[in-house]
Amino acid sequence: MELLIIPFVFALVALVVPKNVVRVTALIGGLISLVMGFVYIAGYTPAADFIALLPNCSESCSKPFFLNFGYDGIGLVMVVLTSVIIFLIFLSNYDNERFASDKRFNALIFFMQFALIGVFLSLDGLLFYIFWELSLIPVFLLFLWYGEKDKRVTLMKFFIYTFIGSLAMLFSLLYIRNLAPSFSIEDLIAVQMSSQTALWVFGGFMIAFAVKIPLFPLHAWQPDTYTKSPMAGTMLLGALMLKMALFGMIRWMISIAPEALSSMTNLIVVLGLIGVIYAAILAIKQNDMKKIFAYASVSHVGLIAAGIIVLNLDALTGAMVQIVNHALVAVGLFLAADIIERRLQTRNLPDLGGIAKQAPMFGFWFAVIIFATISIPFTSGFIGEFFLIKGVFGYNPVYGGIIGTTVILACVYSFRAYQASMFGPSKNFNFPDLSWAEWTAFFIISILILFLGVYPQALIEIVTPSLQKLIEIVNIK
Amino acid sequence: MSVEQLLPLLLLLPLIGALINGTVGKKLPKIASGGLATALVAISFFIALSIFLNLKDAVEVKLFSIISLPDLTLDAKLLADNLSMWMTLIITGVGALIHLFSMGYMHDDEGYSKFFTYLNLFIFSMLVLVLGSNYFLLYFGWEGVGVCSYLLIGYYYSDEQKGVLNSLAGRKSFIMNRVGDLALMLAMFLLLLQFGTLDYKDLATAITSESYKFDGSLLMFGITLFLFIGATGKSAQIPLFTWLPDAMAGPTPVSALIHAATMVTAGVFLTVRSNFMFELAPTSQNIVLYVGLATSLVAAFIAMRQNDIKKVLAYSTVSQLGLMFVGLGLGAYTAAIFHVTTHAFFKALLFLGSGSVIHGMSGEQDIRKMGGLKKYMPTTHWTFLVGTLAITGFPLLSGFFSKDEISGFAFQHGIPLYLILMFSIVLTAIYMFRMYFLTFHGEFRGSEEQKHHLHESPLNMTLPLMVLAGLSIIGGLINLPGIFLKNQAHYLDHLFEKNVAGMNLIHTEHLSSGTIMVLMVVASLVCIVALVVTYNIYVKKKSLPKDESELTGWEKWSANKLYVDELYNAIIVNPILKLSDWGYRTVELVIVDGLILKMAKGVDSAGALVKKWQSGQVNWYVLWMVSGIVGLIIYFLVKI
Repeated sequence: MELLIIPFVFALVALVVPKNVVRVTALIGGLISLVMGFVYIAGYTPAADFIALLPNCSESCSKPFFLNFGYDGIGLVMVVLTSVIIFLIFLSNYDNERFASDKRFNALIFFMQFALIGVFLSLDGLLFYIFWELSLIPVFLLFLWYGEKDKRVTLMKFFIYTFIGSLAMLFSLLYIRNLAPSFSIEDLIAVQMSSQTALWVFGGFMIAFAVKIPLFPLHAWQPDTYTKSPMAGTMLLGALMLKMALFGMIRWMISIAPEALSSMTNLIVVLGLIGVIYAAILAIKQNDMKKIFAYASVSHVGLIAAGIIVLNLDALTGAMVQIVNHALVAVGLFLAADIIERRLQTRNLPDLGGIAKQAPMFGFWFAVIIFATISIPFTSGFIGEFFLIKGVFGYNPVYGGIIGTTVILACVYSFRAYQASMFGPSKNFNFPDLSWAEWTAFFIISILILFLGVYPQALIEIVTPSLQKLIEIVNIK
Repeated sequence: MSVEQLLPLLLLLPLIGALINGTVGKKLPKIASGGLATALVAISFFIALSIFLNLKDAVEVKLFSIISLPDLTLDAKLLADNLSMWMTLIITGVGALIHLFSMGYMHDDEGYSKFFTYLNLFIFSMLVLVLGSNYFLLYFGWEGVGVCSYLLIGYYYSDEQKGVLNSLAGRKSFIMNRVGDLALMLAMFLLLLQFGTLDYKDLATAITSESYKFDGSLLMFGITLFLFIGATGKSAQIPLFTWLPDAMAGPTPVSALIHAATMVTAGVFLTVRSNFMFELAPTSQNIVLYVGLATSLVAAFIAMRQNDIKKVLAYSTVSQLGLMFVGLGLGAYTAAIFHVTTHAFFKALLFLGSGSVIHGMSGEQDIRKMGGLKKYMPTTHWTFLVGTLAITGFPLLSGFFSKDEISGFAFQHGIPLYLILMFSIVLTAIYMFRMYFLTFHGEFRGSEEQKHHLHESPLNMTLPLMVLAGLSIIGGLINLPGIFLKNQAHYLDHLFEKNVAGMNLIHTEHLSSGTIMVLMVVASLVCIVALVVTYNIYVKKKSLPKDESELTGWEKWSANKLYVDELYNAIIVNPILKLSDWGYRTVELVIVDGLILKMAKGVDSAGALVKKWQSGQVNWYVLWMVSGIVGLIIYFLVKI
């Protein structure tokens, strides 16, 4: 339970401590959560069943019926990932004068961590929904209070999309609740449906997830929202929030309504495929660095969604690795964009150039992140994409070949973003190299990326039993 | 120490060098930084040599499991057999010499330790590529060398005039390679889906034991075709060859190491490794053969009218690689590896020689501004001459034997093929002698300042030249044809007979001694005639390359590289860029985004209550959301 409580407590603490210690408090809080997460990982023996966090006492004690928290390998990985990313966000904001000492800002991020961990630990449909919605609030407020100027239309778009999505998911949840004795995940999974009914339930979930991932053509809110959010908001959105949806697909949608898979798989794979190519092509000619990375994100997660839905063990494993990798890479990329913007007040590619010469450390770490983006072996990006593409290829070789072109297109836009900003002769500006906090953030990201790129088995071992169980559930139904 | 310990050590030494140079290299004195990098590669070479000499059977060393799922295991496992150790010897041997040369060549570069970090990292990746026991590990090395190549092509990225162009050349090479890499990945998927493993030995066993089932099958055709497309990327074959000449933007030792001696031969290695599948896919073999032949011709043709000393060498590399693929297409795997080996010697020699020339000429690369250099740079001159003679197939030098073996196979296959191949070999002789004479003979044509600075390179640069020159002369000994020796002939053939996975790695020529003799005489005559003719033109008549505007007919096509870059831009690059623009302006902004904007406006005009939402009081949204959630909780709490 402390996984959930620590961030909540720190959200309150951040509001009351004196202004000059806020940034240290944030780092400490982030670190405690992080250590806590790894303690759990260290004590975890991979198994398929859920480990409940609260005593299971539906009759004898007074715990409200729906407070059903617990985890398996997948949930645990997501929780630890959240803590790593939140810590990295604190670290990357440490030198940002505007945010580091802002109480409200730091409290919101802790609150976000609380909501996200809640999503990943919920074993009750209603609880899941509540945390799902709660997680919107901090992102929303970050955007509102700290976002760029002309944000009203963007915010409106963001709101409409997520609102409709959430509503659809709520209907699905309520509908299936009527067929099951309770909201607990075991009961929901046990429900037998006709494929017609399953289609509706599945569809409701899918709309919510497709918006959040986002899946083509429901992605229109994403590039603008990413671009106009403050950096921390973009990181939360890109690294973690969309992972809620991918996680939701694995944990909730597929295991509750697998009856609909036969008619939905092809559609989702095709949408994922279109999104992968479409977003990659759009990314090629953007000049706003953040926008390039936003489209890159659409492109990458389209592949993850397609890999999840084809539902074989290799692809699901690849999806888990890529979920972790994409979160790390997203933080790295948006941190790089932010470092440039904070130093030069612009992230417009034609105005940049020659930064690597002035800031070689930055040039080096940024390059590592770029290599993970384009899935070079020795980085976790490769392991993830290799098995995702293999999964799609196994489902349909033609789709696999088409979706595979992402490894080429990703090079085009990633290298363009990197080279136009970092290479070429030095331009007429002064670019200080990384501060220790920024350096540490890049260092942690890179070490994790390289470790998982060479020894992904460390992660795979944790999630395999749960993934096998999922496949079993689908096969039985 | 046993092979099980030595093999990982030999692999790790360059990586350790890269880590040391990458972290503290800047603080070390240059001699220590470069010396360490060079020494580690040299030690790797000697370890490889000791393993190679004592190797009886193939040895596998498992390091750890990269991925282990119930139905799929991919190990980090090394394989030492005669093929992988042979490649290791070339990589570390030639690599060490080029490291040594770089210590002199890069001496004044401010990124000295960074350069050696990249070089060591490259050696490590290349060793992973050849020593891995499965395609998965090969792919690690395959992309690893690609990254090093990318970094080194764009090494001079901050150059005032050419910085941007250099980095674009790096990007081009990487993206073109990626096309091949995707194909390689697809080949791996097919293998995994069909056989559940990527291990060379397991695959060879599974496929050869049931070869009747796979012979000529669509599956084998698909796998080998994808493998070959992968090879065309790394080894610069049609249609993916245009990156290699651009890659000359990198420092010259890099061109010698990566873009001539080692990395570009990875495609040949891949094909040899997969021989047991190519043997079952005759259609693919034919594709390999004709693509190789066409590449060899096209590149040789373009090289005829290039005036940049490195560009000529780059196209000649493409052309020589084409020759190797002709061998592979004919099933002459040993002949191809033989040519890989001798090519590594003389092409590294030529590139390093050109580096020495460029060093002496204060950075000038245009052979029109050189001339008469043999007076000023005697060592560079005679070693370069040896390299030129070796590549043109001058009798009894290394290139003579390795080329002769491939053309022998071509002859066996049919006279037309042989004649076309000989034509490409004639072109090679002509453009190489042209370059040699223009550079080292006649009058000096550069500026007074360049003339003033002209000097022979220091010993750490000329020493590798001399060693490589020696190897270029005697390198042919490793696979002498039977007519020269009774017992020691075909050393390489016999080497690969043992402990290399595959069934028919050895196809010895079935030509009679008489035919072999005649072919050799023809090849010798061709080379000598080309020598005499070019000598007449460029030394006796002192004719010089024409100005680009005066070129007409075939010369214009050759000088403009057959307009292949222009073609690719017109049919691939520009359409994608246009699509990107169009997609953003039309699909994204108007259709996808427009839809939701209309919805937003609809909400806007939907009555007073909603208007209140829209009045900029965005806090209201949050309030709505929260109250919705709270309401739900209460609803369910009450209901139960």
